[in-house]
Amino acid sequence: MLLQLRNIFKWVQQGGQRVFLLKDINLEVQEGEFISIMGPSGSGKSTLLNVIGMLDTFDEGEYDFLSESVHTLKEKYRSNLYKEYIGFVFQSYHLLDDLTVEENLEMPLLYKNIKGSERKALVADMLDRFNIVGKKDLFPAQLSGGQQQLVGVARALIGKPKLILADEPTGNLNSQQSEEIMQLFKKLNEEEGVTIIQVTHSEKNAEYGSRIINLLDGRKI
Amino acid sequence: MIKNYLKIAWRNLLKDKVNISLNITGLSVACAVAILLGMSAMFQLSYDGFHERGESIYKMVRTEQTPKGPKAGTVHAAPLAPTLEAEMTGVKHISRMVQDGTLALFGEKEVNMDIVWVDQDFFSMFSFPVLHGNEKEPLADLNDVVFTEEGAQKLFGSTDVVGKTFNLMVNGEEKPFTVSAIAKDIVPQSNLDFQIAARFESHREYNEAKEQWDRQYHEVFVELKQGVLASSFEQSSRSFVDLYYGEGIERLKRDGATADENGRFINLELVPLKDVHFASFKNGTVEVSRSRPYLIFGVALLILFIACINYINMSIAKTAKRLKEIGMRKTLGAQKKQLFFQFWSESLFVFIISISIGVVLSLVFLNDFKSMFNTQISSSMFWSPMFLAGLLLSILAITVVVGGYPALLMSRLGTIQSLKGKLESSGNNQVRNVLMVFQFSIAIIMIVGTLVLWSQIDYMRNKDLGFDKEQVVSFPLNGKRNSHDMVDLLRDELSGNAEIVSVSGSDSNLGLGKDGSRSSSGIGFEYKGRIVMTNFLIVDHEYVQTLGLNMVAGRNFESAADSLGVVINESMAKELGEQDPLTSQLEIEDGIFYPVLGVVKDYNFKDLDRAIAPMTFFMSRQQDLTYGFVKVAPTNMANSFVALENAWKKLEPNADFLGSFLNENIDRTFRQEKTTAKMISSGSLLAIVLSCMGLFAMSLLIVQQRTKEIGVRKVIGASVGSITYILTKDFLKLVLLAFIIASPLSWYILKEWLQNYTYRIDLSVWFFAGAGAIAVVIAMLTIGTRTIRAARANPVKSLRTE
Repeated sequence: MLLQLRNIFKWVQQGGQRVFLLKDINLEVQEGEFISIMGPSGSGKSTLLNVIGMLDTFDEGEYDFLSESVHTLKEKYRSNLYKEYIGFVFQSYHLLDDLTVEENLEMPLLYKNIKGSERKALVADMLDRFNIVGKKDLFPAQLSGGQQQLVGVARALIGKPKLILADEPTGNLNSQQSEEIMQLFKKLNEEEGVTIIQVTHSEKNAEYGSRIINLLDGRKI
Repeated sequence: MIKNYLKIAWRNLLKDKVNISLNITGLSVACAVAILLGMSAMFQLSYDGFHERGESIYKMVRTEQTPKGPKAGTVHAAPLAPTLEAEMTGVKHISRMVQDGTLALFGEKEVNMDIVWVDQDFFSMFSFPVLHGNEKEPLADLNDVVFTEEGAQKLFGSTDVVGKTFNLMVNGEEKPFTVSAIAKDIVPQSNLDFQIAARFESHREYNEAKEQWDRQYHEVFVELKQGVLASSFEQSSRSFVDLYYGEGIERLKRDGATADENGRFINLELVPLKDVHFASFKNGTVEVSRSRPYLIFGVALLILFIACINYINMSIAKTAKRLKEIGMRKTLGAQKKQLFFQFWSESLFVFIISISIGVVLSLVFLNDFKSMFNTQISSSMFWSPMFLAGLLLSILAITVVVGGYPALLMSRLGTIQSLKGKLESSGNNQVRNVLMVFQFSIAIIMIVGTLVLWSQIDYMRNKDLGFDKEQVVSFPLNGKRNSHDMVDLLRDELSGNAEIVSVSGSDSNLGLGKDGSRSSSGIGFEYKGRIVMTNFLIVDHEYVQTLGLNMVAGRNFESAADSLGVVINESMAKELGEQDPLTSQLEIEDGIFYPVLGVVKDYNFKDLDRAIAPMTFFMSRQQDLTYGFVKVAPTNMANSFVALENAWKKLEPNADFLGSFLNENIDRTFRQEKTTAKMISSGSLLAIVLSCMGLFAMSLLIVQQRTKEIGVRKVIGASVGSITYILTKDFLKLVLLAFIIASPLSWYILKEWLQNYTYRIDLSVWFFAGAGAIAVVIAMLTIGTRTIRAARANPVKSLRTE
């Protein structure tokens, strides 16, 4: 089992009242799954994804990731954990504008303290695999949206994560670009066994996954 | 990793050229100015620090409790030093000293030189290294003198002169002396400055004064034996004082003086050599104050501080633009520590650039700075280990705090929030506001300071001093001729010239002449059973009319025959306490009574930081005049000056003519004030410019951040004026708040400073209002340029940024 959420609650105080963002979420994810999280705006999809990705905290409940109990870990260990095992893909790509494609890909490796020669090799591999060798010296602003997301996925993959979390990865893309990215996810999942959890609005994209989780007002339905 | 940081830092710099160039300009200018000011403060503080035995050398001061309060004097009687050495334990070396100007003659040459008359121990105490000649005992013989290299060049045109004989004018006669040694030139930060050192016993007054305990005319420096504390020496000198000053103590008691807290009337006190430059005796006690160099240090720090505030504010404001980067780096596993070091190293990068530019700037402008603020700093001071260490330390402190604080803030941001691009800004804004208020308070205080300082200087310059300073030329009587003869000869020589009104002389200058020397003498005598103290001036009979002084009672000296009477000033008349001062007879010398011929209206014969004291004019051909005074007609003053100079050259062909108008002399006495005023005003100028640079950058960023708001407001129908108002008012509030904080503070500081002057301006409201208005107007202009442009922009464009 890759991760398990038990009775997760998350809330904010608003005008003296608790507003629940997540309510009693229970979830088990096995390695190699491809899960789609669906639900209307404000139902807590992104919050759930952030909690799974350990970018966000929760107020109640327990969370085990690879048999580590995340809720008891200090921030430093948590960040060590997610930088080792989790890759993130965002709707608006979040590439660093000041860095070239190559440098963007290299960055996660820097934070993992990987040696220079090895970094070079890994980045070259990734550029090759995604067919973007020719674009390695371009800055994100010089790429199309689809290409930027391609770089985004490549960056998420370069650290060889067990889990990829994708927050509406195709939200800013046209249908053809979306199709390509989803095919890529499917391939990764099937051929390399990478676990993927994506948040999506689109029924069509959700179909790529092996399991769909529906959220409404912070609850699983 | 570091390469990656630097890459990002470099690209960030290039991306934001306006902001970065403002930052680097501000920081490097502030750094350069701080280095220069720091150097000049260090220079001041290093005065007399070069004497190897300085730790155990002291200047001797005698304090007396007079009926009018304590009085401190640095001049002593000739027998004091030898008696102390003989009777007190603990004295290692002791030397008397008179600083003087003298005429030196060698062959055809006549040169005015600075001379010190000192005892044999002088060169064993002070570190004025001897280069050639008798190193051990350069003043062993009574006719021995030591020249500095500069002095030897001046008189002999060479420094290879050990053993040569030349003459000095002593009491109007040429006396032969022998060069026994050549000493190294005196460093600028020395209080003792001379070209020749001669034996104290050769001084013109010595023969008459050597046995007299009541004739005080020289300073005394003492070096204590190792382990002897100044305080214990002072204590053990008490019985010595009782023995030799007993008569004086009795007189003080009789006249109603009150003893000090130790029950003493007269004390000998020791002022450490390194304090001498900073000691003043104005209020009758020894006060050591290093406030001037510390003030300069303070200004340097404040300027640096203002530039640093700019940097902090701009870095914090720019965080908004880098939120995405921070969030993304965190999701990729960056830890706080790593982010902190990334942002901090970016700051470090900027600082290293700025500081390097600053150092170069300071070295480039060193000479301009020196002449502008007449300090003697040199680039070698910059490389002194002390200064470099201080510089490095402050750079380190600045980079840690100024670079560290924004970096800390940035590294602490939450991952999700920064990814969403949201910033809880209220906290940061407060820090920013506080810093900006601080910055403007400093600027306003400095502006008020500038206004007040210049007004005070202006006031002192234009104040009616009670004598004619515009039309009178004074010049040192530094020639070979007898001074009284010289004044008479000049008078005859110039009598045909209708534009020369009168000629006279006295033994003290007014203000500070070109020769740069000042002196004053005082005398005390018994009058009706008590001691009366007065300043004492040897004059020539035309002194009163030459200086345009007004008689208020009696008559002036009419001719040389009136030398058996005196003329006094109003303060002296008051001191005598007679109904009719003209009836007084003053027993200035034992058994000889001098009638008061007349009373002259009070005039400021000393600087304006002192009240007018009693003064007595005395006419005597036995005592030398040292300065000539010539009053010229108000027309063609330049011609008259030339006529005077020509007459001088004719009578004294070998001596320099160093004449100058009295108003120039008076101006010279404010030189320190002027330098301080110049420093403060340049400082305040820089402070306001730097503050406005910060304000400008902030308004730039704020306008960018509020583009959407401006667009929405315009679409709804707001006018350009109202939008400009909204954007400007927040900043103006800060400036006004700064004004409210700065006003009482500057009022307090300046009130204290003005206490130093007996004659001073009132601190009117207008100084503060003026400074406030200057700050507000400059701030408005700075922000206005940006805000009006933003307000006038097409709303469709500004909304499109979403």
